[in-house]
Amino acid sequence: TGTKMANVDAPQKLSGMPPLSEGVGGGRCSEISTELIRSLTELQELEAVYERLCGEEKMVEKELDALLEQQTTIENKMVTLHRMGPNLQLIEGDAKQLAGMITFTCNLAENVSSKVRQLDLAKNRLYQAIQRADDILDLKFCMDGVQTALRNEDYEQAAAHIHRYLCLDKSVIELSRQGKEGSMIDANLKLLQEAEQRLKSIVAEKFAIATKEGDLPQVERFFKIFPLLGLHEEGLSKFSEYLCKQVASKAEENLLLVLETDMSDRRAAVIFADTLTLLFEGIARIVETHQPIVETYYGPGKLYTLIKYLQVECDRQVEKVVDKFIRQREYHQQFRHVQSNLMRNSTTEKIEPRELDPILTEVTLMNARSELYLRFLRKRISSDFEVGDSMASEEVKQEHQKCLDKLLNNCLLSCTMQELIGFYITMEEYFMRESVNKAVALDTCEKGQLTSSMVDDVFYIVKKCIGRALSSSSIDCLCAMINLATTELESDFRDVLCNKLRMGFPATTLQDIQRGVTSAVNIMHSSLQQGKFDTKGIESTDEAKLSFLVTLNNVEVCSENISTLKKTLECDCTKLFSQGIGGEQAQAKFDSCLSDLVAVSNKFRDLLQEGLTELNSTAVKPQVQPWINTFLSVSHNIEEEEFNDYEANDPWVQQFILNLEQLMAEFKASLSPVIYDSLTGLMTNLVAVELERVVLKSTFNRLGGLQFDKELRSLIAYLTTVTTWTIRDKFARLSQMATILNLERVTEILDYWGANSGPLTWRLTPAEVRQVLALRMDFRSEDIKRLRL
Amino acid sequence: MATAGARSAPSQTPPPTSAIRQTPAGPAPGRAEPPPWQLQRDSGRMRSSLAPLGVPVSRDRDDVSVCLSGSWYTPEACLQLKDHFHGQVSAACQRRNTGTVGLRLSKVVVVGDLYVGKTSLIHRFCKNAFDRDYKATIGVDFEIERFEIAGVPYSLQIWDTAGQEKFKCIASAYYRGAQVIITAFDLSDAQTLAHTRQWLADALRENAATSCFIFLVGTKKDLLSGAACEQAEAEAVHLANEMQAEYWSVSAKTGENVKAFFSRVAALSFEHSVLQDLERRSSAQLQVGDGDLVRMKGSSPESQEGRGLSSLGCC
Repeated sequence: TGTKMANVDAPQKLSGMPPLSEGVGGGRCSEISTELIRSLTELQELEAVYERLCGEEKMVEKELDALLEQQTTIENKMVTLHRMGPNLQLIEGDAKQLAGMITFTCNLAENVSSKVRQLDLAKNRLYQAIQRADDILDLKFCMDGVQTALRNEDYEQAAAHIHRYLCLDKSVIELSRQGKEGSMIDANLKLLQEAEQRLKSIVAEKFAIATKEGDLPQVERFFKIFPLLGLHEEGLSKFSEYLCKQVASKAEENLLLVLETDMSDRRAAVIFADTLTLLFEGIARIVETHQPIVETYYGPGKLYTLIKYLQVECDRQVEKVVDKFIRQREYHQQFRHVQSNLMRNSTTEKIEPRELDPILTEVTLMNARSELYLRFLRKRISSDFEVGDSMASEEVKQEHQKCLDKLLNNCLLSCTMQELIGFYITMEEYFMRESVNKAVALDTCEKGQLTSSMVDDVFYIVKKCIGRALSSSSIDCLCAMINLATTELESDFRDVLCNKLRMGFPATTLQDIQRGVTSAVNIMHSSLQQGKFDTKGIESTDEAKLSFLVTLNNVEVCSENISTLKKTLECDCTKLFSQGIGGEQAQAKFDSCLSDLVAVSNKFRDLLQEGLTELNSTAVKPQVQPWINTFLSVSHNIEEEEFNDYEANDPWVQQFILNLEQLMAEFKASLSPVIYDSLTGLMTNLVAVELERVVLKSTFNRLGGLQFDKELRSLIAYLTTVTTWTIRDKFARLSQMATILNLERVTEILDYWGANSGPLTWRLTPAEVRQVLALRMDFRSEDIKRLRL
Repeated sequence: MATAGARSAPSQTPPPTSAIRQTPAGPAPGRAEPPPWQLQRDSGRMRSSLAPLGVPVSRDRDDVSVCLSGSWYTPEACLQLKDHFHGQVSAACQRRNTGTVGLRLSKVVVVGDLYVGKTSLIHRFCKNAFDRDYKATIGVDFEIERFEIAGVPYSLQIWDTAGQEKFKCIASAYYRGAQVIITAFDLSDAQTLAHTRQWLADALRENAATSCFIFLVGTKKDLLSGAACEQAEAEAVHLANEMQAEYWSVSAKTGENVKAFFSRVAALSFEHSVLQDLERRSSAQLQVGDGDLVRMKGSSPESQEGRGLSSLGCC
């Protein structure tokens, strides 16, 4: 195995080794070790190794030659280096001298700059001394100024002095006290502090008086002084106290007005929403008016504090208004009543949905107003924060955002409104469900209308309910309502239509056929005389038929209405979203709920398909089948004479077309164009399949085939006129059968088959082609068998 | 367990004995590891990391065939003990033939008493964050979480409802059309467990019990010591069996089991979704087939019971 190893390993090692660069190869020895050579036994291998060793030897020789060539150049260089020796000594002396000079210069510069540094220090101290002197002067000036200003009741001036004093560096004051005039300054400082305290109490007192008297200019005057005394928080809290009182008194007034409002008043139905609106507008106006003062005198970022105080009052007032609303409108009783009504098989007397209408409108209006107000606050506060936080860290910004969210989301106003909306949703659901039930119960079909009244009514109701939920400006409320509407349409209303379709399309009796053109049209006429007729309690077959057809139309319109509703809602909501309502996920929530709604549209479409299939199999098929079967009784094994006779007196197709026309006329009159088109599509399929079946049961000769070809052409020509579908494709197999039946000879088929088929795509399998060929009495079966297809 | 097996995915093979043998060693902390099948979350910040997942097809084969076992929390209350995805599902995934599943979402509704930590649970999963401050959910919150299961993109749409009684009216409007119902309770508060029965009943009023997966989730596991936890879990497992729900203990605070739990939710609803889709497509193919009207009616399985339009009411 040793040799094998060598065989495998050696070449890899050699080729895997990078070629060594010249000049470095001194330490290199052969890759082939002596042991390796000794271990070799085969001649061939030995030769190979020998050859490689020879190659290596040559390489080594080449390298040696190259090195020898370099010898003279290297010797020359050595000579030049020896000559340079003395010069180097000179250079060394010069360099030492230069170093000495540099050291000297350096020391000189060091000396100069240390003096400059000392000067600089002295200058700085001087500046500091001046600053301190200035501060002490300022302090003195403040001490004097405060006294004078206080005496003159010039509080702004006094506050300005105090502000200056408060802005002074505390260490400066401390230093001044340690100076020679320490005792005097101490006394003055004490005076100043006393003045500060006095000013604080005066301002507080004056502010209190001003607020009591409702003297706005004075209130604002002292409000501006607070921040000068470092009392930002106190100023804001006192000022908002004053503002809150104003809000409260105005709100109480408004609430009293509510109680006096006459029920006949134009706004009586939304009086609580109006009252809330007034409250919100009042607060908004206050914010608008006082924002500049707060910004100017308290700096940016303080509006939040002011509004936080104001919101407490707002919550208090909202609570009162909502309380009154709940009591006066009997909101909770109504809710409980509705809740018990919503239970299946409840015994309590039902609330008339119409009675809920005003209260539902009012609640959504109330919520819309609150949303608007809260949005206003959010915008104002966050833009105020933004100004203040322009330099702040990300953490501070987030903290502020959190505060804002907490204030607006957790305030009593938000919670109260959410609660009201919760009740609203249930009541709106009831309103929708009951109204839909009513629309279904009162369903009528006006003459000449394809659909009955309930479809329009139901969608009017659904649109109204969703629209109302939308008007609340609450995305959660809107989405909840869309969900409830989806459920209502998908289960309850679809069940109604489903049940109607399940009654089926009554099978047509022989009598009906004889009556010929359209029983349904007759019903339409009779209903014309009565004006309308009830689609419930169907007794006659005709009415049952019409009911079925009307329901089909209804189903189609439903599916379309849902798509329309979706588009309208999307359009309405883009406006809402562009205002930034409902937070980041609002759009996603909305889209999700809307896609559920759209899915219902497809369910209606499926229902329509099932209904159509049913109609096709119970109304169309039983009639068409016998008509097509009569084809069997018409001989297609005919002579010239009979062929000509058929020309004059059509044996089958004309009557068939007439029958079809009469049959379909009934549906054309009472189905929407789209459904009618689908039905004719189904009918055409049916005709094609059935006809193929009877053709395969018939026998033909040449003229019979010609006759069939003519018949098929007339039929296709007729069907083309009644449908928008492409007929040719559906009749492709039959047309190809007609072609086969029309052949002169069996072998003629080869002119059309395989490579000769040209643009024609055969829909018949070779077996089927043989089967059709066999229908020709005059073709010999051996010829058919012999065909190569 | 028998009931749990009975109501899991259709045409499911009985749990192989090997799966039962693998009794998980209780709720060890190690269970928070990612589940065995390839599951990639794709929410916002993670989207960029999607590319490295471009696993070769051969790896995919492993991904789907890697068992689902060990993915449940306790075999005493789990929806299915199967080792693998349903054969059809695996096959469809390999063929990249999962139809519209990738575009569709499975809707998950989370219900339960207030303050049991529904929002925290979802936040831990979706944002990997935990906020100590309690903030009651008002109305409904909403998150979409994107996954990649066996190479197929899939999304969970998680609706987080308010637990407060006064917000129930609005929250219940969001129960409809849920594929997964998660009823949450506080492991340290027995009362909340008792209430889950009612929560589930409310949620099921808007959904067919057969059409959705039910999970019972005990939260705040970090608050309980070993013995107390075992006691609480035993009761919960008992109730879960009654509800025909799968049981999980989690902690949003520590993150324990949160990812594994939602992965399980995703895997089960994904499998169900693919199966449904395949079923729907196979029946649709029959219907559209050739223009053979006579066969059309008979081919749809629903219409075979009863006469005429009996199928109309089923959906």
